[in-house]
Amino acid sequence: MPPTELILQILVNGLLLGGIYAVAALGLSLVFGIMDIVNLAHGHMLMIGAYVAILLFAEAGITPLVGMFVAIVLLFLLGMALQKVLLERVVGEGIEQPIIVLFGLALVLQSLGRIVLGSDARSTDIGIPGQGIELGPVLLSFPRTVTFVVAVVLIMGTWAFLQYTTTGQAIRATSQNRDAARYMGIDTDRVYVITLGIGTALAGAAGALLSMLFPITPFVGWSYLLKAFAVVVLGGVGSVAGTLVGGLLLGVSENLGTLYLGGGIRDIISFTIFLVVLIVRPQGLFGTGGGDEE
Amino acid sequence: MIGNPFAGSDLFADRRRVAALVFGVLALAVVPFTTTAYVTEIVFTGLVFVMLGVSWNLLAGYAGQISLGHAAFFGIGAYVAAWLTTPTRAGLPEAIQTPVLLALVGGGLVAALVALAVGPIMFRLTGHYFAIGTLALAAIIQLVLLDQRQFSGGSSGYFIQGGIGEDLMFLVAVAATVGMVASTYLIVNSRLGLGMRAIHGGEGAASSLGVNPLKYKMYAFVISSFMAGLTGAIYAMFTLYVNPESTLNVVWMIDTLVVVILGGMGTMLGPIVGAALFLVLDNGLRAVAGEFATTIEGLLIILFMIYAPSGLYGLIKDRYLGGEESETAEPEAEGA
Repeated sequence: MPPTELILQILVNGLLLGGIYAVAALGLSLVFGIMDIVNLAHGHMLMIGAYVAILLFAEAGITPLVGMFVAIVLLFLLGMALQKVLLERVVGEGIEQPIIVLFGLALVLQSLGRIVLGSDARSTDIGIPGQGIELGPVLLSFPRTVTFVVAVVLIMGTWAFLQYTTTGQAIRATSQNRDAARYMGIDTDRVYVITLGIGTALAGAAGALLSMLFPITPFVGWSYLLKAFAVVVLGGVGSVAGTLVGGLLLGVSENLGTLYLGGGIRDIISFTIFLVVLIVRPQGLFGTGGGDEE
Repeated sequence: MIGNPFAGSDLFADRRRVAALVFGVLALAVVPFTTTAYVTEIVFTGLVFVMLGVSWNLLAGYAGQISLGHAAFFGIGAYVAAWLTTPTRAGLPEAIQTPVLLALVGGGLVAALVALAVGPIMFRLTGHYFAIGTLALAAIIQLVLLDQRQFSGGSSGYFIQGGIGEDLMFLVAVAATVGMVASTYLIVNSRLGLGMRAIHGGEGAASSLGVNPLKYKMYAFVISSFMAGLTGAIYAMFTLYVNPESTLNVVWMIDTLVVVILGGMGTMLGPIVGAALFLVLDNGLRAVAGEFATTIEGLLIILFMIYAPSGLYGLIKDRYLGGEESETAEPEAEGA
């Protein structure tokens, strides 16, 4: 039995990591809830976002907190282009074509990443001075705390955007009923383009944040796709609050599992949680069924 | 929608085609004795592609269940064959040592058993959830084997003893390929295949007509997994080496997809045409484009899926063979 302080520390670290997972998952959930496609390249978009931050940090010493905004802009454009150029042609054509097109895209991104960026693991440093917070026996490390706060701000920002802007309203309307939204004069094609842009931008942001905590390689895409989808399933599709809770849950259970069962099985834990929840409660632990809710 | 789930298959429909197939098989059978080891190996890879393509096509192309975990069953088959022929290396009792041919069947059977066990659970998922669920399942199986070094050899791999030689294994591969193509043909044209194609066309409509979707999905999944496992076992006994990173790698899934998508989903000849094309393409690309080969394969998947979802065989058939299958086709229901 590990000492209590260690368990508490691991719990806290898991919670702080979970915030980033929630950001990644929110992007996936948004796209799934609104467009009814799972972006199988989502993890690879995250990987690209991480590398934007890594390259900016390595070449120009720019802190990933700034690099994150560059990643957000770049991936927003990439996501919009993806929808315009590829997905617009296959969305709504049954499920085979979008799944396979996105699988192909993930493959392209991974192999290009390997060639351009090399297979070595790279990471960044927060790059600004600061101190962690001591809470009794537990230390909230500076980078972990900052990334968590940024993650929560991003999630709240996305929620506010969906709730209070006209575009956000159009997106929500489209997710409820695409045809009805179109009759009301909403340009649903544009909504899809923006939605995929936001979805991939969130992946990019999560990647930039993760680069401060974990080494990144061009091959991490599949793993983060599955983790992000695990969070979506835990929290329920289309629920922002559920996604945040799901992210925290996954972060904590991954960290606790690693503590008791060894570091080698970190991904096994999260994928197993994912499968179990997916099968036992496909509507999510807290979700109301998301897309099925009409 | 892809392919044509309502059309039967005309693979053995006329004599000319049967003659061409027989000739093709005979030509394949003499490859190891008339060419170099290098060519034999390339053609062997092509046979593996055909087998993987045919097996995935049964599940995805005919029954409409897009699994992204096919590599796991290939890997399971490979490992079981390795364990059965070289048990002591994995710390298994020597008593389970099995002759090669039986070990191959064992690889397929264990893969089928795994499919039988996880199928009822996985098929609680549909569509996107099923695709990503199978992806997760495959990732778990790979990670577990990577973690269990004593059984899998870890990242340095596991050497197999007691093979029967490359030439003989090549002939086994030819026989297995013929067997899989023929049995898929029989299945697709039987009541079983009709049920599979019916749930592909529209699960709700099919079940309202008394077709039990789970039953037909399970048949497709178990048979397809058996074939994938057998293919993995044959591959392991040919190369005499397995390793969790390469044997269970998602690359096998990608190759399968490329083969079936290039050739044409939901058609009998699709995976065969696709494997031949992919073999030429893969070797050509590696010579011309070097490390960009995989990138180009990914682009091909995307482009074919958008612009030619019926694949190359579909294109050829529409253009030169007058689209004979589509004449008998009924209007398709959109998949659920």
